[in-house]
Amino acid sequence: MNISGFSSNGLMEKHLKRSDRAKTFVLPNKCFEKHIACAWRRGNNFTIYPRSQTVSKNQGNTSDNKILKVRQEILLFIPILRKLINDSNGVFLSLQKVAENTNSDNQVEFWKLSRQYRSIVRSIIENLQEAAEEESDALTKNSLNSYATIFYSIECIWHLCEILFIKNIPGDVVLPFLLEWVCCHFPSHDQTAAQLLEARERGSEDHPEYWNTVVSLIIQGRIDDARDLLRLHSDSESAEFKLVANSLRTMPVYNIYGGISSGEFTIVWKHWQAECRAILNSQSLSSLPYLQLIMRLLIGDYTAFESICSKYPSWFYLLGGYVLFTRPWSRRRELADAAAACAGLGAAHAHSHLNTVIRALLEGDLHQMIYEIQQMSDNGWFATHLTDMLYHCGKLQVLDEHQTDMTKRLRDSLVLEYGSLVMEHGALWCTGLSYLAACPPEGPRRAELLLERLPLDSEEKAMRIIAEAKKYDLLGVARGGGARWRGAGRVGAALAWAGRARGAGLCAGAAHAALRGYCAGAPLPAADMLLSAGPTLLMDDTLLLLGKYSDFHRLYNNKEFKKAAKLLISLITSKIAPEYFWETLLLDTLPLLESEEPVFSSTETYEILLCLELRAKLLTGEKADLLRLACARNLARTVLLDGVEE
Amino acid sequence: MAQDGNVKVTFVSQKIKKIRWIPEDYAEAQCFFTGSWDDEVNNIKVWILDYINDNEVKYPKDVSTFIVEGNVTEIQFTSKNVIAVSTSDGKVRLLQISEYERKTPLKEAFIWNNLHKIAGRACPCTSLATMEGDIATVGEDGNVNILNSRRGDITRTITEADSCSLHSVCFIKHNEVITGNLRGHMKIWDLRSSDNKPTNSFLFGGDQLATTCIINHPTQPYYILAGSESGAIAMWDLRVNTFPSTLKSHPSGVTEMKFHPENPNKLLTSSLSGELWEWNMEAVMKNTKTTENWIALQDKNTTPTNTLLESFKPLNSFDCNKGNILVAGENEAIHFIKNFKY
Repeated sequence: MNISGFSSNGLMEKHLKRSDRAKTFVLPNKCFEKHIACAWRRGNNFTIYPRSQTVSKNQGNTSDNKILKVRQEILLFIPILRKLINDSNGVFLSLQKVAENTNSDNQVEFWKLSRQYRSIVRSIIENLQEAAEEESDALTKNSLNSYATIFYSIECIWHLCEILFIKNIPGDVVLPFLLEWVCCHFPSHDQTAAQLLEARERGSEDHPEYWNTVVSLIIQGRIDDARDLLRLHSDSESAEFKLVANSLRTMPVYNIYGGISSGEFTIVWKHWQAECRAILNSQSLSSLPYLQLIMRLLIGDYTAFESICSKYPSWFYLLGGYVLFTRPWSRRRELADAAAACAGLGAAHAHSHLNTVIRALLEGDLHQMIYEIQQMSDNGWFATHLTDMLYHCGKLQVLDEHQTDMTKRLRDSLVLEYGSLVMEHGALWCTGLSYLAACPPEGPRRAELLLERLPLDSEEKAMRIIAEAKKYDLLGVARGGGARWRGAGRVGAALAWAGRARGAGLCAGAAHAALRGYCAGAPLPAADMLLSAGPTLLMDDTLLLLGKYSDFHRLYNNKEFKKAAKLLISLITSKIAPEYFWETLLLDTLPLLESEEPVFSSTETYEILLCLELRAKLLTGEKADLLRLACARNLARTVLLDGVEE
Repeated sequence: MAQDGNVKVTFVSQKIKKIRWIPEDYAEAQCFFTGSWDDEVNNIKVWILDYINDNEVKYPKDVSTFIVEGNVTEIQFTSKNVIAVSTSDGKVRLLQISEYERKTPLKEAFIWNNLHKIAGRACPCTSLATMEGDIATVGEDGNVNILNSRRGDITRTITEADSCSLHSVCFIKHNEVITGNLRGHMKIWDLRSSDNKPTNSFLFGGDQLATTCIINHPTQPYYILAGSESGAIAMWDLRVNTFPSTLKSHPSGVTEMKFHPENPNKLLTSSLSGELWEWNMEAVMKNTKTTENWIALQDKNTTPTNTLLESFKPLNSFDCNKGNILVAGENEAIHFIKNFKY
C-alpha cells in the first residue's frame, strides 16, 4: 500500500513538474465554445477547427465557426537573426568536418571555430544595436534591445565556456583568461580610468570616482594602470603611498613559462602577502582608509571584498580579483570555491539567470548549464551550437540516473530539434537539412520525411531538393515531382520525372495516361522524348510499348513500311499491351495489310489472326470482319511468296 | 569557410538566385542587381558598394527594392540600363534603372503576363537569353517565346517546342536559339522558319539529366558550352556534327557559366556543390582543336581549373566586372572577390 501510494505521489510530482513547463494560451474571443479538434501541419504549426460529434440540429450558430492557424513565433527568422542562422551554419559545418578527422591539432581548430562563433554573435549584437538605434517604433526598438541583451549574455557565457573547456591553456592556469573575461564583459570605471590617465594631472583625487576607479583597476588585475593612477594623487610622494605602490610593484605574477614551478611560486606569493599583511598590521596606513582597503584586497581579505561588493551590479565583477588575490595558481577545475565565495558576497543580486549559468559553469556542471541555456529565448540556437562544440571537444559528459552515457543523445536531440525548427522556414530548408544530416541515424530519417513535405512550386525547386537529398544519400526523396505533370496533361514531363525517380509505377502511370489519351483521339504525345529516351524505356513494359509504338509511328510516317510492320508484329506478339490498347494495335495493321506491296509475311499474318481470335472480345463487329478480310487477302498474296523468299 | 583577404562576405538574409553587376562605361562597377528566390516574398534589389562605419573596406548596401511574385529565375541586360527579369509565375518584366541616380526605385518599363502557361495556368518561366534587344524565354510548358524589348511584343512563339520542361536557352545568332530541357535534350531552332520543328537536336549525355545553362564563346560563337545537372560541362563545335567534348565536371549541378567580359579565354563556372572555378580556356580550346574535338584521356584531368571560392552551400550565381567578382548562393551571403586576375 505504502509503496503504491509513494509511487503515485511521485507521478503527481512529475506531472506537476511537467505542467510547470507547459505554457497555456487563451484563444481569442472564446471562439470555440463546444467541440474542437486540431490537426498538425508541417513543422510547429497546427490548425484548430470546430468539430462536433453530433450533427447539429439548429443551423443558426454556424456563423462563429472559425479555423485558427496556430504557429510558433520564431525569433530567429527575423532578418537580422537570419544572418546568424546562415553564418553559424558555416561554422557548424566546418566543425563537423574538423571533428571527422581525428587529429591532434583539433583542439586548436576547435578553439578557432569557437572564436568564430563568438565573433558572429558579436556582429549580430552590433547589428541589433544599430537597428535599434535607427528604429523609431518604441515597441520594436524595445524588442531589438532585448534581443541584443539575450545575445550579449550568450556571448558572455560562451566566452567563459571557451576559457574553461575549449581553449588549450598551458598548465591549466586560468587566471589571466579569467581576468580578460571580466575586463571584457564586466568593465567598470573604464572610461574614468582612461580619462584620468589621459589627462595626467596631479591631484586627480578630486575626481569623485577616483578611489573607486583605482579599486576597480586592482580587482581587474590591471595593476600597472592602478599604480599609474596612484601616482597622480597629490600625496603620491608620501611614505604611505610609496609603501602601497611598492607592494603593488613587487606583486609576483605567475607565468607558466617563467621558469619557476608552481610550488616555488606559491612560496614567493605567500611571502609577498605576508609582507603586505605586516604593513597592514603596523597601522602605518590607519589614517588612509582607501590605501588600507587596497592592502586588504591584496591579501585577499574576504571582508574587504564584501565591503566593495555593493558598488558593483553583480559578483562577476569581483571574480577575477578574488581569484587573483586568493589563489592565483587556480586551475580550471578549482574555481567552484571562488565562485561560491564571490556569490556569497552579495546575496542581493544573486538570483539572475546569468548567475545560475555562470555558477554552473564554474562548478563544471555542464549538464546544469545546458539545462539553463535551453531556457533562453533564442530558439535553442545557443544550446545547440555550444553543446555540439563541447561534445566534439570531448568535454561533455552527461550521465542519466542509471549512469549510462547520454552525451551523444543530448547533443543529437538538440541538433535535431534546431534543424527541424530551421527547416520550418520556407527558404532555410537547406540549412536545416545540414543540421539533420549531422546526426545520423535519426537525422536523415527525419530529413526524408520533412523534405517530402516541402511545398514544390517549380521544377527548379524539385531539382534542388533532389540534389540536396542526393548529397546526403537520402534516396527515398527522389520520387514525387512528376505527379503534378500528369494532371496537367504534360506526358513528356511526367515521363521524364518518372524516369528520374526510377519509379516503375510512376512510369507505368504516365505511359497509361498517354496511351489512353491516344485511344481517345489525342495525338501521340512526347515523340521527341520517347525517341531519345534510351534505357529509361526499359523501366516498365507499358512505357516500352509506348516508346516502341511511337517509333512505329515515326517509321510509318517515313514510309518505311517493312520496318514499321516488323515492329508492329513484335509489339503484338510480345503481348505487353494493356487490354484497352489491343484494338488500336490490331487496327493499325489494316493499312499495312492493304498496302500495294505486301509487307506482312504469311506467318506474320497468322500471328495477327491468332491475336484477333484470342482477343475476340476486344475487337468485334464490323472492325473485326474487316481485319479478317484484310488478313485473308494478304494471306492470299503472301502464302506463295514466302516460299519463294526462303 | 576559409576566407582569404580578397573575399568579403556579407550576409543578406535572402537566398539570391541571380546577381548582376551594373556595368559602368569607364570605371569599375559599383552597383549590382540581385534577385531572390524561394522565400515568402521575393524581390529584385539594387546594391551599392559603400564604406560602412568608416571601414576601409567597401560593403554592399541595398538602396532600392522591387518586389515580385514568385521566384526570380533569370536576370539579363537588354540594354545598358534595362534588365529583363523572368519569374516563376510565368512573367517577364523589363525593369529600368536610372542612369545617374542608382538609388531611385526601379521603373517597370514593360511586363509580359502569362507568357508561359500549362492548360491556362501560369507556370514558371525558367530562363531567358538576350541579344541586342531580343529576348528568348523558355518555360516549364516547353514553349519558346521570342520577345522584342523595344516594341514590347511577342515576335514568335514556338509552342510545344519540347514535351518536357525547358531549362536553358541561348542565342547562337540573331535568328537561331538553342534550348536545353529537363533530360539534357538540346535543340536548335531557326527563328525564320515557320514550322515548329528544330533544325538540329542532340543529347547532352545518356544520363537523362537537365541542361542547366548554355552559353556560347564570345568570339567564336559556334562553340557552345553547356552545363548539366550532373555537374558535367560539355563543349560542341556546331560547324561539325560530332560528339561533345566533356570537360572536367563539378561534383554537382552547374548553376552558371560565364566568360570573363574582358578576356574570352577565361571561363568561370559555379555549382550546386559550392565551388566557383576559373578555367583557362585557351588550353582547352587548343586541345579540342588539335585533337578534333576530343580531349585525350590523359589530358582530361589536367584541364586548367582553379578554385576561387568554396562554400558548404550551393552557389547560385556570380558575375564579373574587371577584377571584381560577386558570388551569391544558398547561404544567403554575397561574396565579393577583389583583385581577380583576368
